[in-house]
Amino acid sequence: MNAVEIRNLSKNFGEKQAVCGLDMTVPMGAIYGFIGENGSGKSTTEKMICGLIPKSAGTIKLYGRDHTDKDVRARVGVLIEAPGCFPGLTVFDNMMLQAANLGIPDAEKEVVRALKMVRMEGAAGNKYKNCSLGMKQRVGIAMALIGEPTLLVLDEPLNGLDADGMRIMREVFLDIIKDGKRSIVVSSHLLGELQKVATHYGIIRHGKMVREMTADELDESCRTYVALRSADMSRTKMLLGCKYSRVEEDEAEYIRVYDATTPEQIVTYLYENGICVTEIRTDKIGLEEYYIDLMKEGR
Amino acid sequence: MTKSKELKFESPSFAERLKSMLGVDFYRLFHTPVFYIFLAISAIIPAMVSAMTMMPDQNGNTMEPLYSNVWQIIAATEPLYVINTIADYANMNMVFIFGGIMVSIFIGHDYKSGYVKQLFTTHAKKQDYMMSKSLVCAFAIVCMCASYFIGGTFAGLLVGYSLEVNVGSLIIAIVGKMVMSLGWASLYTFLNVIFRRYFGISIASSFFFGTGILIIGAAAIVEGLSLPTGFLNVFLYGSSVNACLVSNIETLVICILVSVLWTVFYNALGTHILSKSDVY
Repeated sequence: MNAVEIRNLSKNFGEKQAVCGLDMTVPMGAIYGFIGENGSGKSTTEKMICGLIPKSAGTIKLYGRDHTDKDVRARVGVLIEAPGCFPGLTVFDNMMLQAANLGIPDAEKEVVRALKMVRMEGAAGNKYKNCSLGMKQRVGIAMALIGEPTLLVLDEPLNGLDADGMRIMREVFLDIIKDGKRSIVVSSHLLGELQKVATHYGIIRHGKMVREMTADELDESCRTYVALRSADMSRTKMLLGCKYSRVEEDEAEYIRVYDATTPEQIVTYLYENGICVTEIRTDKIGLEEYYIDLMKEGR
Repeated sequence: MTKSKELKFESPSFAERLKSMLGVDFYRLFHTPVFYIFLAISAIIPAMVSAMTMMPDQNGNTMEPLYSNVWQIIAATEPLYVINTIADYANMNMVFIFGGIMVSIFIGHDYKSGYVKQLFTTHAKKQDYMMSKSLVCAFAIVCMCASYFIGGTFAGLLVGYSLEVNVGSLIIAIVGKMVMSLGWASLYTFLNVIFRRYFGISIASSFFFGTGILIIGAAAIVEGLSLPTGFLNVFLYGSSVNACLVSNIETLVICILVSVLWTVFYNALGTHILSKSDVY
């Protein structure tokens, strides 16, 4: 049984079709990285999963049941955009309200547990309006964790988090899925961070699923390249450009050769042309580059 | 080794859901400064209206008193759908205007803060939300009625108005207006659901309906045509006006029926709209 199974999902806002014929499968125990450009339909899809907006067509099943089933909805933790908290109340009080809405019997204990998970127990007495952006995001995630949800749907949860906050979130995500029954759908533009935890990916463009794959499949799909530095970078780039079809200089000022080749072949070729290679390694493109390449293909 | 957990999908019953939602809404109400501000306003307004009667006019003469009796500040002497003087209008019915503004601010915060988004991603149903809000806001308006009663009575005694009244009719009038609070609260909750994205319009529409101007206008036409005005009691403002100092048990029954029927209507309509439209 899959945690989320979406078939032919569509959503129209008047004339505009935000999501059109989307299929999506999130297996149990997965951290599903949901990726797409701004306006691609990620948040709309997540809102439909959570029942915040009605779908125009298609089916959404959560653990084999319709997503509107109140029993299954009670086990979905959500953070869409920003947490819905009252600014004048404390973090603790806001969380207690959410616990009460969920009908949690031992609410206080549960709230403390959720706050501890995101290392926010020290800020429980702070008024929500006085929290920083990163703290607010952590409160939002803590609220989503109340009641030990079976499915977490998190829209841009990493926004505003510092390095420590992101590390904590990674730990929280991995802790949640460790029993293999809970799942997380997380959308983020911080693809490097997402790649550290995601077990599955879904890439959406213009409201349609472009690709769904596991982390292993992504790894296989990511092309290898040779990155190098030399004493004369501009001439090296020119020479490599004459021989190989795709040669680029990256942000770290390495020349990358993407064509299937070996470092030895490149070193020999450059040596024959009077260039001494100072540094060379083979590597694979990451999720971010894979995603950018995929988006370029579609244009 | 991690202990494997069984997946269970259970949620509280309707009664449990409503109880927890009412708990949350009451907690919020008592922690909202706006509620206390409007309680104070409800007490001050009748005192101000009474004090106006003490002021001298342009020639230095004392004005004709607006009221002759303390209890006229609470309810009109008879059902006056068409108003001729401020005294015909200025009674406990004014609470429904302040109440509308308070309810709009209270519910508006649900949407501004994103609380509804948080709420509707749980097992909470739209019907629960409408019911909980209607009940809590009705309670708030009842509290404002009580506050108005205290302020009005105190002011009336200070001015020195007569205390003579049919106690039974007075009690029925007060209870009748308090009963009408549920209908009014449902109307305001419904208006706030419709205009949930437009905070200002929510307040303006609540104020507009709260004044009863539609019924006052309709009554003027009906009276002009020499037709009976009794049918106006099927509306919230009409029934609120009907609860006056000549009320009897029939008046209270009408208030209960009208209030409950409009509550059911607005709750059903609000639930339908929330179910069919984007919540957030």
